[in-house]
Amino acid sequence: MFSSFVHCFQSEWLKRKGTLASWIVIVGGFFTPAIIVIVRVIKHDGLALMYASNDFWKLLWRSSWESMAIFLLPLGAILSTSLITQIEYKNNTWKQLHTLPLNFTTIFITKLAIILIMVLQFFVFFNMGIYLSAIIPYLLISGVPYPASPIPYNFFLKENALFFIDCLPTVALQYLLSLKYKNFLVSVGTGFVLWVGALASLSWKFGYIVPYTYGMYNYLKDSASAKVTPPAINIHVIAFAYFVVFTIISYILYISKKDKG
Amino acid sequence: MYCVETSKLLHQFLGEEMVLNDISLQVNEGSIYGFLGPNGAGKTTTLKLILGLLKKQQGEIFIFGKQVENNRIEILRNIGSLIESPSLYGHLTASENLSILQKIYRCPKQRIEEVLHLAGLSSTGNKKASQFSLGMKQRLSIAIALLHSPSLLILDEPTNGLDPNGMIEIRELLTRLNQQQGTTIIISSHLLGEIEKLITHVGVINKGKILFQGTLNDLKNKQQESLFTVIETSHIEKAMRIIAAHHLVAEIKDGKIILPALPKKTIAVISRQLVENGIELYEIGVVKNDLETIFMNLINN
Repeated sequence: MFSSFVHCFQSEWLKRKGTLASWIVIVGGFFTPAIIVIVRVIKHDGLALMYASNDFWKLLWRSSWESMAIFLLPLGAILSTSLITQIEYKNNTWKQLHTLPLNFTTIFITKLAIILIMVLQFFVFFNMGIYLSAIIPYLLISGVPYPASPIPYNFFLKENALFFIDCLPTVALQYLLSLKYKNFLVSVGTGFVLWVGALASLSWKFGYIVPYTYGMYNYLKDSASAKVTPPAINIHVIAFAYFVVFTIISYILYISKKDKG
Repeated sequence: MYCVETSKLLHQFLGEEMVLNDISLQVNEGSIYGFLGPNGAGKTTTLKLILGLLKKQQGEIFIFGKQVENNRIEILRNIGSLIESPSLYGHLTASENLSILQKIYRCPKQRIEEVLHLAGLSSTGNKKASQFSLGMKQRLSIAIALLHSPSLLILDEPTNGLDPNGMIEIRELLTRLNQQQGTTIIISSHLLGEIEKLITHVGVINKGKILFQGTLNDLKNKQQESLFTVIETSHIEKAMRIIAAHHLVAEIKDGKIILPALPKKTIAVISRQLVENGIELYEIGVVKNDLETIFMNLINN
């Protein structure tokens, strides 16, 4: 089973080569850091002071995650998951995949694993981007010192892990929709509607039941704002529970599909 | 033991009529089985059931003597298939498409070059599969089916989109595989003429029912049964009266008299009587139905 998973994984990994989803991961990961670099290079007057601050990394982290948590991460997850899963529908290859000597469970798990690895890849690129967005202005602009404070690795790791868990419901639901429906617009359209719904429900006291809100809540947890009501419960547990439930439903629907070609 | 055997397969899509009704196929090991029938006859549904792409509703399927449900993965390891239109990843090259499957089948990497060469696609280089012509896509699909040297090939209309040369090449390739490696091949088509030179056995299906199953020779024997005599004269009605006197059942078709196959003596007597009665005799002879006509008759009856 494990060796079959490894071979299936290698095969699935090859399929994503040159796809739009693989580009979204790279471009999405470096987009916000690139904007930060451009802005800082253009407006570099206060940079020396900023780089000397003890909170430099945490402030950079927050400004990097601003657009990422609200906009890029959910939309990137919606698009990448749908695009990767839809490869088989688009190329009319489900029938070929299902006549390979592979367990249906292996196929299901491998495809999901590929998507999760791509999300992780996205996080890695984004973190690399954050580091580069700190270093590039220091290298380009004279008078800007190397950041005075050390990189808070534990904080970065913890926050990365939380944001990763928070986007799992999005991935699982998009996976379910993309496996179930041949039409790409169904999964992407539903994902977009849920994302808008999540934005609208942030100020609602039960907003945490909308599965696409968790990354946004995680970012906004420290922001004092009348428009947002941070839930009093552990959203990461709910996010993980949603992920498990959506994945189980998705698996049952996939396995019980009568026409696999 | 049959390579593929189905017993009393029934299939019905939701809210539709029965698509397959009591399909019992027997495909001998080492044979090339032509699965013939018009579009919508149930060929693809049968092949999809055999490959496990459709959930079986009723009946039994055995491949290599084993029940498919309980031995699916083991069986699929030895099957190469092409169902309907080509299944290719358009954003990848021919070689990459094959690599995807090479990793699953765990066959040597050199097989990729070998099957590309067999399919005449060695020179496609970095060209993406989406830029291939339909014929090239079809050939790549066949290369994919051959990659792991399967002992059973299931090909659903594999010559669709191929030019006459391409068809001949595929025919020769399949014959070679069958003769040199003993590969059993099930090949479906709606045209008997297209696969007549290739197959050893035939199954004819129409409206979800098997109308004929046997060797190509069995079908050719049907050809002997379907001989008929044709007579063309200057006075068709007068000639019909003379023929009726011999208590023969005759019909007129395209200005000619059509009779069942007659003994030589009877033909001689009738022709003499026609001439003696002043009727000019333009043509008299025995005609054989070609296989295509027999196939069409099977379907139409």
